[in-house]
Amino acid sequence: MSESNYTKEKKVGEGTYAVVYLGKQLSSGNNIAVKEIKTSEFKDGLDMSAIREVKYLQELNHPNVINLIDIFMAYDNLNLVLEFLPTDLEVVIKDKNILFTPADIKSWLLMTLRGVYHVHRNFILHRDLKPNNLLISPDGLIKVADFGLARAVPGPREMLTSNVVTRWYRAPELLFGAKHYTYAVDVWSIGVIFAELMLRIPYLPGQDDMNQMEVTFRALGTPTDKQWPEVSSFPGYNKLQIYPPPSRDELRKRFIAATESALTLMENMLMMNPHTRWDTTQCLESEYFKELPTPSDPAQINILSQKA
Amino acid sequence: MSAQTISGSLDEYDDNKDMCPICKTDRYLSPDLKFLVNPECYHKICENCVDRIFSLGPAQCPYKGCDKILRKNKFKTQVFDDVGVEKEVDIRKRVFNVFNKTIDDFNGNLDEFNKYLEDVEDIVYNLDHGVDVEKTEERLRTYEELNKQLILNNIERSKKDVENFSQRQQFEKEMKLKKKLLERQIEEEDRFNKEWAKKEIVNRLMTSSGGDTMDVIEGVKNTVKLKKSSARRKLEDLNRVLKNNPYFVANNMGQKNHIKSSIPYTPFNGDRDLHQRFEVDETKYNDPLVQELEKRKDYIASGFRTDFIYERVLTEAFMGLGCVISEERT
Repeated sequence: MSESNYTKEKKVGEGTYAVVYLGKQLSSGNNIAVKEIKTSEFKDGLDMSAIREVKYLQELNHPNVINLIDIFMAYDNLNLVLEFLPTDLEVVIKDKNILFTPADIKSWLLMTLRGVYHVHRNFILHRDLKPNNLLISPDGLIKVADFGLARAVPGPREMLTSNVVTRWYRAPELLFGAKHYTYAVDVWSIGVIFAELMLRIPYLPGQDDMNQMEVTFRALGTPTDKQWPEVSSFPGYNKLQIYPPPSRDELRKRFIAATESALTLMENMLMMNPHTRWDTTQCLESEYFKELPTPSDPAQINILSQKA
Repeated sequence: MSAQTISGSLDEYDDNKDMCPICKTDRYLSPDLKFLVNPECYHKICENCVDRIFSLGPAQCPYKGCDKILRKNKFKTQVFDDVGVEKEVDIRKRVFNVFNKTIDDFNGNLDEFNKYLEDVEDIVYNLDHGVDVEKTEERLRTYEELNKQLILNNIERSKKDVENFSQRQQFEKEMKLKKKLLERQIEEEDRFNKEWAKKEIVNRLMTSSGGDTMDVIEGVKNTVKLKKSSARRKLEDLNRVLKNNPYFVANNMGQKNHIKSSIPYTPFNGDRDLHQRFEVDETKYNDPLVQELEKRKDYIASGFRTDFIYERVLTEAFMGLGCVISEERT
């Protein structure tokens, strides 16, 4: 619990409220990352996301969730010691020099679902799942990271803010401004990530919040009261262009390489109605993971060496 | 001929990609201009010039400073833009025609096979970069002499593989075609059934006086449902055949064996508590506070579920029971 056990060697990134350094844990020699949170700049105390990150990461311990090793204070700044994760899924998707196979996609999706299953099991909503927040460890494991927007599942009468999740990965109930949403918002994000992995371009790239609705419904159909009871009671539900939901054939054409069970899984993760959308348990038990090809061994997925 | 001299002598001519450097014919003026190269020196010459210069027998390459003697029948169209690539591909083709062993020839011994591949790569590299050309050519020739029978056998075998593959593709193509036909048939039937159902409902409603409208509609819908299933069965059968594709199975035997030996798929990696200490039974709870919410529109639309609430409360109530901290510590 002190700074003397860790070194900060290289600055690798700077966000609005934190700076990230690479370093070493002196007692073990392991690589680590130190997230230094700029407390001194915030006059009214710690930033909300820092509190959330510490609060939830302390609770979680799972191979597919980022590991918070230690916390210490130095020069009035809060420092989180996290495990060292060299890359993330966004980098991998964007780098056209990296080739990956359907088995690799399956492996990544599987690890992501396992991680999120563990988060949900502990009654936590992540609320910011996107490729950029799925980090990859040196041995190829996916680690769900960035709990800056996470929160515990609220009591039945508490209200939630719908202004969460990066726009492209935002579930329809959030677009409509729901105040009592559930785990289903995270599953939607994973569904969009799944689609993005297969297409290698963002699946629902809305330019602004209104446009996001337009893009989402054009791709997946406008929800109606029939398949999603009371959807029309949302304040945001008016003057919507009605698009028909895509047929299986249209999906097949969009996702040429996907197998039938892959499409089934994706369809059920991208279900408009949060009631019928699959939860992580259903996703993990889906036929997609049982059929060939078997998911790649994470350590065997080659994502670094081709870079040079 | 080494790579350096090729690029060196090309520099003088490379100013225009679409112009023959010998007769200065431009593609702009004669669009059907075609370039040929000779594997001796890979200098690009247009078809007309080749006819003109080499029709009377072997002659020297017309490029300034190139003293290779070229024959007309060796000229070919260039596949790759880069001469270096073109040259390497030609060399590879020639070497692999002779060195055509597969891993089966080594009884599956990966190390030996890799060593063999390494040797072949050395030969290709030497020929491509002009290192010890004489010696390497000699090596190629002696190997060919010594292994004539084996080489012929392997050529035969690779031919068979190609045949097998095309057969399999043919089979899959046919199956896919059949599937498409069936799918279209089902679609048509569906449309027909829908129309039939509409008419039937109207008809029945007209004739039946005062019966329950809903019953009639349900009845018609049920008949349609029964009809549908028979058409779909065919498609399912076909899908099963596709799945058990004999060619596919034959080609993936090795892979299958491999899978059997590894760990079976476990969705949760063994990390899942299936023996909960409680059962959620919503019918037994009387909780007006929560049950009232279940009826509110904004809750329904957001995906709110009461079982999530009960599950959480119960989990938290039972959490840690039967767990002794002093034991966990050690």
